[in-house]
Amino acid sequence: MGREVSESCIDSLVTEMVFSFCNRFYADKSDLAARRIEAIGYQVGHQLSERYTMERPRFSDHLEAIKFICKDFWSEVFKKQIDNLKTNHRGTFVLQDNRFRWLSRMSVEPSLETGQEGENKATEAMSMHLYFPCGIIRGALSNLGIPCAVSADISNLPACSFVIRIKA
Amino acid sequence: MIVCVAVVGHQNNPLYIQSFTEADDALKLHHIVHCSLDVIDERVNNPKKSGPLLNETFLGLLYPTENYKVYGYLTNTKVKFILVTTDLDVKDADVRNFFRRFHAAYGDAVSNPFHVPGKKITSRTFAESVSTIVKAFGLSSAG
Repeated sequence: MGREVSESCIDSLVTEMVFSFCNRFYADKSDLAARRIEAIGYQVGHQLSERYTMERPRFSDHLEAIKFICKDFWSEVFKKQIDNLKTNHRGTFVLQDNRFRWLSRMSVEPSLETGQEGENKATEAMSMHLYFPCGIIRGALSNLGIPCAVSADISNLPACSFVIRIKA
Repeated sequence: MIVCVAVVGHQNNPLYIQSFTEADDALKLHHIVHCSLDVIDERVNNPKKSGPLLNETFLGLLYPTENYKVYGYLTNTKVKFILVTTDLDVKDADVRNFFRRFHAAYGDAVSNPFHVPGKKITSRTFAESVSTIVKAFGLSSAG
């Protein structure tokens, strides 16, 4: 079966990648950094979806592909399934993970916990870490023939939700 | 004996095509592969006619010609695999097995970070593993 990787290595790698893009390669240009990180995620998702859809029948509609992302794909990548899936049946899907693995060991710096400005800063820092998984979802779905846009928001740590908007 | 295998992308662009014959008939084999693309389209768009399970990746025998049999396989990512063989009494199980191994090799090839999605597969490792799989197919169907 599949090869295994150390989870702490992946955690450190993701953190380091986000840090490097935000503070070294594209310091002060957070939108550029975000786009680069998302692009890396896209490639990863693209490749993973090829592997994980092997030996399964083709999906007949979008919902089936999204369900695959929620169940099998999420279990392969994060060892758990998405906790809640919502849809408006018009191309928007909300995937909620109550304990997102890559946020589960994250905490807000105590000095930032007070004040509106500090809160904003903390949210921004955390959202940088979500561009990578967003890219993974987008890459996987577009490889399955579903072009879409994916965004994420953090409700309260470590829960987060991913919003998938399928392009008609 | 397998005479030709091909990988065709979702816009019907060739990603990899390799023939395994001594004779100079590459053009003829490419033509057969090209023709089979239409058969695949037809199978996928009118799933009623296809005998095997709905939406299965393995598409079965696409069409027999006088000297060849052509089999197809369509992945979830809309990539087509095509197999042309000269054996006229091939077991379906052997072909399925072939495609499963071929798909694994393809998965490895596209996971190569130097591979550009949608471009031709130039990896030598992929070519080697394909020829190993092709040789193994000859052995299992002969035995």
